[in-house]
Amino acid sequence: MAKITFIEHSGERLVVNIPVGWTVMQGAVQNGVEGIEAECGGSCACATCHCYVDEAFVDALPAPSETEEAMLECTAAERLPNSRLSCQLKVSEALDGLVLRLPEAQS
Amino acid sequence: MFRFDPYSPAIDADPFPFYRTLRDEHPCFWSEEANMWVLSRYDDIVTALNDWETYSSAKGNLMDEMPNRAGNTLGTTDPPRHDRLRGIVQFAFTRKAVEGLVEPVRASANRALDAVQGEKTFDFVNDFSSKVTVDVLFGLFNLPRENERMVRDKAVLMVQSDPRTRQKGPEHLAAFQWMSDYAKSLVELRTREPGDDLITALIQAEVNGEKLAEREVQMTVTTLIMAGIESLSGFLTMFAYNLADHADARRRLAANPALIPDAVEESLRFNTSAQRFRRCLQKDVTLHGQTMRAGDFVCLAYGSGNRDERRFPDADRYDIDRKPKGHLGFGGGVHACLGTAFARLASRVAFEELLKRVPEFERVQEQLPWMPSTTFRSPTRLELAAAWA
Repeated sequence: MAKITFIEHSGERLVVNIPVGWTVMQGAVQNGVEGIEAECGGSCACATCHCYVDEAFVDALPAPSETEEAMLECTAAERLPNSRLSCQLKVSEALDGLVLRLPEAQS
Repeated sequence: MFRFDPYSPAIDADPFPFYRTLRDEHPCFWSEEANMWVLSRYDDIVTALNDWETYSSAKGNLMDEMPNRAGNTLGTTDPPRHDRLRGIVQFAFTRKAVEGLVEPVRASANRALDAVQGEKTFDFVNDFSSKVTVDVLFGLFNLPRENERMVRDKAVLMVQSDPRTRQKGPEHLAAFQWMSDYAKSLVELRTREPGDDLITALIQAEVNGEKLAEREVQMTVTTLIMAGIESLSGFLTMFAYNLADHADARRRLAANPALIPDAVEESLRFNTSAQRFRRCLQKDVTLHGQTMRAGDFVCLAYGSGNRDERRFPDADRYDIDRKPKGHLGFGGGVHACLGTAFARLASRVAFEELLKRVPEFERVQEQLPWMPSTTFRSPTRLELAAAWA
């Protein structure tokens, strides 16, 4: 399990325990995080699970794949250097304490 | 003793009571008839979908696989090759890429309705869902406008299986062969005359500096046609079936079409046509007291996970206000449906037009003829009594 904090665009904070091996997106959807839409179901094809990774964790994450890079160009909200698609982030113990901010819009 | 036989007509007609028994009493069940394990609870299915290294697709993903298909399509390849293939194909299916299909779907829906305008009853499958689906898909793939009816019939036939022999019969295999040959001729055509279309993109694509093998291009095109035609037309039919049986929901949609997308999501959860897919275990897994062995096949019963009360309260109720995030109507994980944006758009627009012109309809047949298939579930005919606007 890793404890992951989602900060909705409204400022509301949700702390969720996600099993190792799941994706961050899956954990968000299962726990009712409103700001993650995840229209495509986790195949990196819709850019509606966009999140901004807390600066302290950016370097702890594996770099985005080519497909994620390309899909990050399709986000509804502005892409920032710390933008990631949460369906591509696999939960590991190393992500315990991760903080993610959610954009104003996903689509 | 409880049995779960995905070949039986009883399961084709109504799998949901069987799913409930599976979830409550046998959450990790060995089906002798299917010769595989069956996972039926939402959490177990999601866990499997997120672990492709254990639950591999490389030995096939359909309950009854077709010859020479496994390993040559997106749905039957594991990462990393899968991800590279998918990276090539999926840009044709993003929301932006399919936006241009709104007006073609609208026009197609209206042409289908024009043909039966004023009829007291019509068959939703033949007169509407398959016509619109084939029409729009031919546009999406830029296919030559010939053989449309034949392509549709073969796509529907190839996903079926014979309930007596428990495997694909000669007619199903012949349909698959026909589709493979058809795909081959399309690939040859686009090799000679490249265009601005998906088949051309597949032919020209390179994965790690290597072009896709001819067989891969051909099988991928075959699958896209099958999935596009069978799944979308099956879903539209199930959506109409739900709205025929839930008049309150239908009237709310007719009065306020902005609710249609929510109703589409609930229909995807409630009873979409893609009911069961399979994986192959790469290592032993012990679950709910049973040990499944490496090499065993495992059925992921999406249709059951979507009715799991542990995840969706009052799951057997069709509720268009539910907004069922995380449903398994499109599967999930790396192999989640490629066509989600296209399917959602086509369903919304087709039903906007249908409900505008036929705000009131009800089911004529009490018993429906259900397609014999271990993977998909939809009726082969759905006669509707229509009150035209």
